[in-house]
Amino acid sequence: MLSSMLRFISIFLFAVTLSPSIAIASSDSLSLSNQIQPLAIKSIILDIAVKDETMVAVGERGHIFIFDEKNTPKWRQVLSPTSSHLTKVFFITPSLGWAVGHDATIIHTQDAGLTWQVQMSSPEIEKPLMDVLFFDTANGVAIGAYGLFYRTANGGKDWTPEYHEELLFEEDIAYLAELKAEDEALYLSERSTLLPHFNRIIATNDGRLIMVGELGLVSVSDDKGVNWQKLDFVYEGSLFNVIESNSGFYVMGLRGNIFQAGLELNRWDQVMLPTKSTINGAILAKDGGLRVVGNAGVILDITANGKGELVTQRQGENLVSIARDPQGHIWVAGTKGLFELK
Amino acid sequence: MLDKIVNGFESFLFRHRIFVILLFMLTTLFLGFQASNLKMDAAFIKNIPLNHSYMQTYLKHQKQFGGANSIMVAVEDTSGDIFNETFFDALKNVHDQLFFIPGVDRAQVKSLFSPSTRFTEVVEDGFAGGPVIPADFSTTEQGLSVVRGNIEKAGIVGRLIAEDYSAAMVSAQLMDFDPQTGEPLDTLAFAEQLEQELRTQFENDEIKIHIIGFAKMAGDVAEGAKGVMLFFLIAILVTAVMVYLFSKSLVLTFLPLACSLIAVIWQLGLLTVVGFGLDPMSILIPFLVFAIGVSHSVQMINAVRRRVADGESTKAASASAFRSLLIPGGIALLSDTVGFLTLLAIDIGIIRELAISASLGVGVIILTNLILLPLVISFTKVSVANTSKDPAESKINQLWRKLSLFATPKYATWVLVITAVLYGLGVQQASLMKVGDLQGGAPALHFDSRYNQDTFYITDKFSITTDVMTVIVEAFPEACTYHSVLNQIDEFEWIIGNTPGVESTASLASVAKRVNAGFNEGNPKWQVLPRTTASLVQAVGRVPTTSGLLNSNCSVMPVYLFLQDHKAETIELVIERVKALSAEMDNDKIQFKLASGPVGVMAATNEAVAEAQFPMMLYVYGAVFVLCLISFRSLRATISVILPLYVVSTLAQALMTQLDIGLAVSTLPVIALGVGIGVDYGIYILSTMAVRLRDGMPVQEAYYEALVERGSAVIFTGLTLAIGVSTWFFSALKFQMDMGILLTFMFLVNMLGAIIILPAIGAFFWRKPR
Repeated sequence: MLSSMLRFISIFLFAVTLSPSIAIASSDSLSLSNQIQPLAIKSIILDIAVKDETMVAVGERGHIFIFDEKNTPKWRQVLSPTSSHLTKVFFITPSLGWAVGHDATIIHTQDAGLTWQVQMSSPEIEKPLMDVLFFDTANGVAIGAYGLFYRTANGGKDWTPEYHEELLFEEDIAYLAELKAEDEALYLSERSTLLPHFNRIIATNDGRLIMVGELGLVSVSDDKGVNWQKLDFVYEGSLFNVIESNSGFYVMGLRGNIFQAGLELNRWDQVMLPTKSTINGAILAKDGGLRVVGNAGVILDITANGKGELVTQRQGENLVSIARDPQGHIWVAGTKGLFELK
Repeated sequence: MLDKIVNGFESFLFRHRIFVILLFMLTTLFLGFQASNLKMDAAFIKNIPLNHSYMQTYLKHQKQFGGANSIMVAVEDTSGDIFNETFFDALKNVHDQLFFIPGVDRAQVKSLFSPSTRFTEVVEDGFAGGPVIPADFSTTEQGLSVVRGNIEKAGIVGRLIAEDYSAAMVSAQLMDFDPQTGEPLDTLAFAEQLEQELRTQFENDEIKIHIIGFAKMAGDVAEGAKGVMLFFLIAILVTAVMVYLFSKSLVLTFLPLACSLIAVIWQLGLLTVVGFGLDPMSILIPFLVFAIGVSHSVQMINAVRRRVADGESTKAASASAFRSLLIPGGIALLSDTVGFLTLLAIDIGIIRELAISASLGVGVIILTNLILLPLVISFTKVSVANTSKDPAESKINQLWRKLSLFATPKYATWVLVITAVLYGLGVQQASLMKVGDLQGGAPALHFDSRYNQDTFYITDKFSITTDVMTVIVEAFPEACTYHSVLNQIDEFEWIIGNTPGVESTASLASVAKRVNAGFNEGNPKWQVLPRTTASLVQAVGRVPTTSGLLNSNCSVMPVYLFLQDHKAETIELVIERVKALSAEMDNDKIQFKLASGPVGVMAATNEAVAEAQFPMMLYVYGAVFVLCLISFRSLRATISVILPLYVVSTLAQALMTQLDIGLAVSTLPVIALGVGIGVDYGIYILSTMAVRLRDGMPVQEAYYEALVERGSAVIFTGLTLAIGVSTWFFSALKFQMDMGILLTFMFLVNMLGAIIILPAIGAFFWRKPR
């Protein structure tokens, strides 16, 4: 009896001491439920977030990667609580962050991306979240396709949906009003699909919010996104990104369309690009211009005076996100994973 | 009792010898006529283990997802850049020419010039697109630059255009039947047309043509197999010289060769009679039949000469040689036949045919060389110098005297110790023997053959591989409209894609995800399987059944695995992982089934071959054991014959490891052939020895007598057999070379085993004479 107990204990101790190496071994073993897979870093990666020393990337199948300059390789995949396609990740402090994605998934980390917990997941609504933004550690919003809009006031413990009717087209407002009287069920279902896709939301330096999306949507809010004002815009295609520069804003989207405006957002000038590829990601360049990435593997520089030129074009991949690590190296993510731009 | 039968048979045959010879001549005429109708037969289906579970899956879905019989023609511009007039003209010509070769499925000819090669781009209000080569295309600089732009938009780089723009592809599917004649497509003629009408016609300094595909490979293999005729002639010539040196008589050289060739004719004729063709593997059997025939004839000549030298008439000498050899010769040949028949236990058509055709051939030798030969010799006049006074003969006897030392305990101990050490090393090496093909390219052909070089070129320049394994997902009708089903396929594809050795994958799920992103303005953030059924149906609906990704009601959806090579380890790891995954994911609605595609077939073949090895050895040794036991009625004698054989088989496996020859359909039968034939030596030596031992003669003396009577014939047999098969070293076909090396080794070393190890074992088994 005693000897068998001793044996059990020794086996147990043995197992405990071995457990770290077991965890590593199983990462490339045949364990099938394991998310950590060698090709994850080369599969679709859709966003890279940087906050001081913290840098985290997210992508398909709920994949999450954390960056450490001192490691080789520099990116390491960590376990994720979801297998949904993650589209965006945001950090309010180096340790507090959120990532969102398909199935209206929101996950949260408090340790700079090492471990994550699910805050929301609603596959049944069949809509993806496309961006998340926090104003402080408690208040934030998440936006997505078909006008999906959620708000939290407690760091994401609870997410409340909002419907931003003010961003509907005039004719749709009239159509919905008509429908509401006739058929309540159809009204609700139509209402949930009539808003354009919300693709990107940012907080400006002067405290406003700008949100861009489908059908040339550019909208501004002065009250943390409670009320939105849709701007008149010269282009009717989808916009996927907006970025603030020293002197104003750039919006970018389908088929090589980039527009530039001053801080007061009253006049948009098109930036002429040598490509018709969709532009997805952007970072500020040192000279006040931009470096942008897009479909068909294009990487372009936009000079401060509004000229675009092709830096390089990578074959067979679509590029979605671009970021600068704390050391100043540039990383690009897309349909073939992460790579450093040299 | 047995003697009485043999004697009766002998006096009957020799009394009617003219009649019997006439009967043989008529049979030879008939079978010769049959042999002239023999056809080359390289059917794909014969090479695969049809009852293997993978092959059941393969056959079940072959019609729908066949697609294995395709042909790819890469047109290369040697300058490294395709955007010039010469190249586009050449490409168009190749496209048109391939289009018109009968047997090509014209709807499936794909290249830059096929109307189905279109580009699509996302614009604000949906999709826009057009043919990559516009209707108003001209080979001007401007026209070429438009095409270059369209190529990039169409996403065909890597498939129809080389990744470095130095070549373009024309691919086609072949039909099973020639539409004009309704006959099954003649693969070999088709391959010849490819060579003549594409390569010869369009290849020049600027343009190179690379052709791959099963039809082309079959053609090249058949072409390579033609070299066998030359080898056969060389084997006959060398053998003739050897027989002459042995017999020192033209007549006694001619007759054994003639009888052995008659055996070959009968064997080939019988193949047609039983409805077989000749394939590149069984084309080697005539060599064996010829060599075995000659070696048995040599025993016969030896016996006749010995008796003539003792003063008998040629006729009497032939009759008594017939009497003395019918039993040991018959048993030896019977054990060969039984050894070959054990190959029938292996469930691969081509090996079964090999077994049957080899058994037929060896069986025929009993008639032609043990019966016909002495009958014909009895008509000749053999004159032999008195052998006992022949100085050469006494020199040989001195050699026999020395060899007989192996039967003394002192030397025997050494022999057995060395044998044991060799065996130990052999076992260790043999355990490392690999299964399957160890090199890239088409395994039947040499690494540096044109076909394999073309394969390497195409797999290098294009993102195309011929090493494809397909896992078939069997579900229920309309399964692809369910998110859960496609999601499972997607999960499966992802995990299996992460297996080392898998370079890329494709399935309906991954394509549907890309289509869905396309429907959402090409946005990678939408590259998912939509949960909404309508969107899912829309995405899947864009994928035609001709893509090979689904059947018409999408109840069957293959997952394609593109592997980095088809080495056995690669295949085993992937198979193991697929099995683990399907064990986890299979349920009553959806099953992941192995396997189709070229590598799926290889996997099944490898498994069948590896599984067959042990039973085959068991059967062949079992058969040889029983036959020896019957003929010697002594366990000790049986063990003395079989033990050396077993050591040599092990060494042959070790040699395979050393020479990087994998266990494959072609090398599996070699051990059975080697053992079946190798046992002859032991039987011949021990049959003389056993009689002497029974009379109370000491082992060394008995062995010496056996050597005097049979030794030179045994050594000669080993050499003849080895020469016959060693010509295959120079074959254009790699597997013939492998077989040649291994058989030569088996024949020579088995012979050495019979004259060195066998007496050494005997020295201990019969230490005290009775």
